[in-house]
Amino acid sequence: MIVGGTERPFFRWDWVGSHVGEILERVLEHLVLTGIAIGVGLIISALLAGLALRYRRTYGPITWLSAGLYAIPSLALFAFLVPITGFTMLTAQIGLVSYTLLILVRSIVTGIDGVDPAIREAAVGLGYSRRRLLLEVELPLAMPVILTGIRVTAVTTVGLVTITALIGRGGLGFFILRGLGRFFETEIIVGTVLSVALAAALDGLLVVVGRMVAPWTDRRSRVGA
Amino acid sequence: MRTSRRSGAVGAIAIAVALLASACGGGSGDGPTVTIGSTNFGEQLILGEIYAQVLEAEGYTVERRFNLGDRDIVAPALRDGEIDLMVEYTGSLLTYEGGTPSSDSDATYAALIAALGPQELSALDYGPAQDKNGLVVTAETAQALGLATVSDLAAHNGTLIFGGPPECPERPLCLPGYEEVYGLEFADFLPLDVGGPLTVAALAGGDIDVALLFTSDGVIAARGLVLLEDDMGLQPAENIVPVLRQEVIDAHGQDFVDLINRVSALITTAELRELNKRYGIDAVDAEVLAREWLQANGFVD
Amino acid sequence: MIDFLGEVVSWFGDNWWGPTGIVWRSRQHFELSGAALITAAVLAMPPAAWLGHRGRGTGLVTALVNAGRAIPTFGIVALALPITIRIADVVPWMSSGIGFPAIYVALVALALPPLFIHTHTGILSVSTDVVEAATGLGMTPRQILQRIELPLAVPVIMTGIRVTAVQVVATAPLGALVAHNALGRFIIDGFAVRDSVRVFAGAVLVAAAALLTDAVFGAVERRLTPRTRSESATRRSGVRNTTAVG
Repeated sequence: MIVGGTERPFFRWDWVGSHVGEILERVLEHLVLTGIAIGVGLIISALLAGLALRYRRTYGPITWLSAGLYAIPSLALFAFLVPITGFTMLTAQIGLVSYTLLILVRSIVTGIDGVDPAIREAAVGLGYSRRRLLLEVELPLAMPVILTGIRVTAVTTVGLVTITALIGRGGLGFFILRGLGRFFETEIIVGTVLSVALAAALDGLLVVVGRMVAPWTDRRSRVGA
Repeated sequence: MRTSRRSGAVGAIAIAVALLASACGGGSGDGPTVTIGSTNFGEQLILGEIYAQVLEAEGYTVERRFNLGDRDIVAPALRDGEIDLMVEYTGSLLTYEGGTPSSDSDATYAALIAALGPQELSALDYGPAQDKNGLVVTAETAQALGLATVSDLAAHNGTLIFGGPPECPERPLCLPGYEEVYGLEFADFLPLDVGGPLTVAALAGGDIDVALLFTSDGVIAARGLVLLEDDMGLQPAENIVPVLRQEVIDAHGQDFVDLINRVSALITTAELRELNKRYGIDAVDAEVLAREWLQANGFVD
Repeated sequence: MIDFLGEVVSWFGDNWWGPTGIVWRSRQHFELSGAALITAAVLAMPPAAWLGHRGRGTGLVTALVNAGRAIPTFGIVALALPITIRIADVVPWMSSGIGFPAIYVALVALALPPLFIHTHTGILSVSTDVVEAATGLGMTPRQILQRIELPLAVPVIMTGIRVTAVQVVATAPLGALVAHNALGRFIIDGFAVRDSVRVFAGAVLVAAAALLTDAVFGAVERRLTPRTRSESATRRSGVRNTTAVG
C-alpha cells in the first residue's frame, strides 16, 4: 500500500527483531494482568460456589448475576467502571474478574456435583468430616472439570486483556492500539498473534498442570472444551 | 497543542515499566545525572531522545522516563523531582498554568516564564518548531478550490466535510474556534482520530475535504498535503520549549543551558515534520532518528 | 453518586435525535450487526451443515472453538482497518475503507466460528439411528439433511445464532475505533473528552443492545425449541449455553 509515497510491506520482521525487549515487557504485563484476574476470580468463585453448594437456592441467583455480567460487552463494562474507578489497574481487574465468575463458579459447582454419590457415601461412612470430604474426596475428583473451566477462563481472559489497552493497561493490546494509531500493521499483527499464542501456551500449561494435579483424569467428566 | 493522544492516564504500573526500561537505557557518562521525562506520543519520544543523546555525548548521565502518560502525570513528576526536564509547548503549557497565550511566540513565552516562576520552574529558550492545530487539505483540493489560508475556506461554507479528533467539536481551539474566528461552516463533521491513520485515510479517500491535523505531523510531508495558513491567528504559539526546575538549571550551569539552547534553535517545524514522518510512517525508532538528526547537525559524530 | 446518575438520566433526555443521537446510532449499530450476521450465516452455515451431515470436520470444529475463544476481538478489528484501506485503494467505488467496511469485515470474521460450530454440532448430534431409519425408508442424503437433520438440529443452531448475534452486537462498539458511528461512539468519544456521563450512558446503551438481542433471539429460540428435544440435543452435543464476551 502506498503511504507517503513508499510501498510498505504488510509485516516487518526487522521491527520485531529490534523490539524484542519491549515485546517481552508487554507479554509480562499481559501475564500479570491475566494471572491476577484468574487468581482473584478463583477465590471469589470458590466462595460463591461454596455458597451455592451449601445453600442450593442461591445457585440460581448467583448464576443469573454472573451470567448477566458476562453478557455485558467488555467495552461497556470497562466504560461503566471508568467514571467510578478511573483509568486504573483496579478498573481493569474488576472488569476482567467479572468475566471469570460465570465459568469458574459453574465449573466448580458442576465438578463437585459430578462426584459419584456412592463415593461420597462411602467416605461419610468411613467417618470423613465435612472438611476432609471436601478437601480429600470431592475437590480432587472435581479437579478435571474445574481445570477445564480454568482453561476456558484463562483463554478468554487473555483475549479480554487486550481491550484494557483502551483504558491505559493492555499488555499486548498496547501494540494493537499503538499500531492502529500510527498505521503500523506489524504492531497490530504482533499484538494479535502473540495474544493468541499466549492463550494457547497458557492452555497447554494448564493441561500439563492438570495431569500433574489429577492424574486420574476421568474422561467422562470432561466438559466439552 | 493537542491533548493527550492516548485515552487514559497510565499511572504507577507504566512508571514501573518505564523504570524497568530506563534501567536498561541509562546514560553513558559519569557526569552529573539528568532525568528526562516525556508524555506518550511519538514526537515527544523523538525530542526527548534528541536532548538525552546530546547530553550523553557531552558526558552527562541521562535517565529516561519516557511514555509516562499525558501532561497530568508528567507535570507533577517534574515538580516532584522525579524528572528534571521535559519538552513542552509554550501555548498549551501556559493555558495549563492558567494563562492566556497568543499567537505571538515571544509574548507567549514571556507569559509562560512569568507563570512558571512562582513554582520554581523555568524554561530554556524556545525553539522555532511548533506543534499546533492546523487545517489540512489534499493538494488537489487546494488547487481546485484555490485554498492557501484558512480564510479561503469561508468562500465554500456549507459544502465541505470536516474531519478530526472526536473531541474537536468541544475544544475551543478546534471546531468552535474556527466557526467563531473565521466564520466557517462545514457541511458535516466526522469524528476520526487524533491525527492518525483514520483522519489521513479519510482525507485521502475523499470521505472528508478538510482535516484537522497538527502542524508538525509527518503525514503532511509524506503525502504532500497542504497546510492552510492560520492567517487570523486562531491558534496560539506552541513552540517547543524545555521546562525544568530552577534548581536543576542552577546546578548544571551555563554550559548545560547553552547546549540545550543550541539544539532547540535548530529544530524547525519542517524538521519535526520529517522526523515525525519517519517515526510514524516509516516506523523508524526514536533513538535512531535522534542520533541521525544530531549527526546531521554536528552535535555528535 | 446520585448526582452522577441524575446527570446520566438527563443526558439521555437530551441525546435522542439528530445525526449524533441515540436513535441514529442505534440504527447504524443494528444495521451493521444484521449485515455481518447474515453474511456470516450465509458463508458458514451451509458448509457446516454439509460437513456435519457427512460426519466430518469435527477436528476443525474443535480448532475453531479454541481459536474463537483465544482471538482478541480488538486485534481483529484493528487488523481489518489496514486491510480494508488497502482494498479501497484498489476498488474504485470504495472511498477510504474506514468506517463500515472495516468493522463489517471484522464482525463477519468473528461471527464465522460460532455459527459454523453450532450448525455443525447441531447436525452432527442428530441421532444416527434416526438417519439410519430414514435411509432405510429410502430417503436421499439431501432429503435426510433437509427433512430430518435440519429440523432436529434447529434448537442447537438457533442457540448458535443467538450466541453469535449477541457477540456481534457486543463487539460492534469497537467500530468507533475505526471511524464507524454506532453506539460505541459515545463511549470512545466520552473517553476522549473525559466525559464520564457520556461514557456511562454509552455503556448503558451498548449493554442494553446486547441484552435486548439476547432476549429477542432467546424468545425465538424458545419458540422453535420443543422442550424435550432441545434438552437431549444440547446435552449430547456438549454445547454450552454461554453467550460470548464482546
